[in-house]
Amino acid sequence: ASSSAVIDMENMDDTSGSSFEDMGEMHQQLKEEDDVGEEPVPTEEDDGAFLGVKGLKGQLGRDVADQVWQAGKRQASKAFNLYGNIDILRPYFDVEPIQVRNRLMESLIPVQMINFPQKVAGELYGPLMLVFTLVAILLHGMKTSGTVIREGTLMGTAIGTCFGYWLGVSSFVYFLGYLCNAQITMLQMLSLLGYGLFGPCIVLLVTYNVHLHSLFYLLWFIIGGLSTLRMVAVMLSRTIGQTQRLAICGVLAALHMVFLLYLHFAYHRIVEGILDTLEGPNAGPVRFPRDIAELSITLLNSTVKSIGASLQMR
Amino acid sequence: METSNFHEDMDGLVQQIGINFDHIWQKTLTVLNPMKPADGSIMNETDLTGPMVFCLAFGATLLLAGKVQFGYIYGISVLGCLAMHTLLNLMSVTGVSCGCVASVLGYCLLPMIILSGCAVLFSLQGVIGIPLALIVIGWCSLSASKMFISTLAMEGQQLLVAYPCALLYGIFALLTVF
Repeated sequence: ASSSAVIDMENMDDTSGSSFEDMGEMHQQLKEEDDVGEEPVPTEEDDGAFLGVKGLKGQLGRDVADQVWQAGKRQASKAFNLYGNIDILRPYFDVEPIQVRNRLMESLIPVQMINFPQKVAGELYGPLMLVFTLVAILLHGMKTSGTVIREGTLMGTAIGTCFGYWLGVSSFVYFLGYLCNAQITMLQMLSLLGYGLFGPCIVLLVTYNVHLHSLFYLLWFIIGGLSTLRMVAVMLSRTIGQTQRLAICGVLAALHMVFLLYLHFAYHRIVEGILDTLEGPNAGPVRFPRDIAELSITLLNSTVKSIGASLQMR
Repeated sequence: METSNFHEDMDGLVQQIGINFDHIWQKTLTVLNPMKPADGSIMNETDLTGPMVFCLAFGATLLLAGKVQFGYIYGISVLGCLAMHTLLNLMSVTGVSCGCVASVLGYCLLPMIILSGCAVLFSLQGVIGIPLALIVIGWCSLSASKMFISTLAMEGQQLLVAYPCALLYGIFALLTVF
């Protein structure tokens, strides 16, 4: 058998050494090597009066409180240096504009070859910007439709929805992938799902401005479907076993498509045209998301009467 | 004699508290003229006098249009500065201070004041308003990204810096238009 000294890195399994935990541990080890000689030396103070009249409020209490504080501070600084050091994220933001553009285009093109693991970009700039773009589109949609949020603010709702979907579904699918032995890291899952939001951004940007349900359904099926197929194909290439593939890809496809439906119907007007004619005391109910008000015959009748009255006045 | 001494004393006092009117004017001209190249040494200064004046002017013009949005301006400015500071420190080799980011973003709010001034005269929720808002957002983000890349030496990544700036100024535009 012939062996080659050239290793094809194009489709190498890149699931090792690129996780947040690996980067964090490396930084933590470097930090601990620097901090070896910096441990605080406990000083012995005069213990003559530590069991003095005041008891815990005396020297003993102060020493115990100080030791607890120092121990807690050390633990907190260790945890912060491990997880709060933004330098561990620096490699994931090192991109060029042309790379981002190509990845955006590729997010709508499903791959056909699923027999070997497809490469997933380990990058967070594009996904983060797409999530923020979705927040901006949601805000625009809520403002144009006069949506009122009962508990909270528009900004908080939009940010919570978008980031909650991105982080929550990524975590859930990553957990499913862990159970089904899929070859994907959390970073890759975040990147894949983040770029998968490009399709919903396009659909919502169009349908929040052109109010046609048929157009929405068409775009939901085509563009939403393409971005979902792209993610499903990548997951298929990285999962072994029919049942496991079905579980992961079914959940991912269902969540992605339903999320787009939810964004359209929960944060935008559902009654076009009729609300435009309502003014003043005849104004219809204020639009609340997740609280769909059913149109009653009386409302329709009052609308028709108000239109007729305004026409007669002219 | 007394008048000249007074002016000299005032100039010394102004310099002592860190206000450089020439630099403020240079930065303002850099924002107003997107084609003017930015001087990295001037842009790297942490000057918040101009940005604070511009934020107050923005709030005042919104007030003239009947919108009391000072709290939203403050909140969005603070969150936007923190987010841009984090993003730029992740993307650049040389770091940038939060004050510098706040200064640049504040100066580049000037075109948004023009938009909010237009909102006093006519409604921006129409055929004229939306394209005008898009032009102003592009103007602000172009100026801000130009200043950032001159400070951080990030040539070739202006689009990557401009896009998050555009999202931030888009939020301000939503405040102005709706």
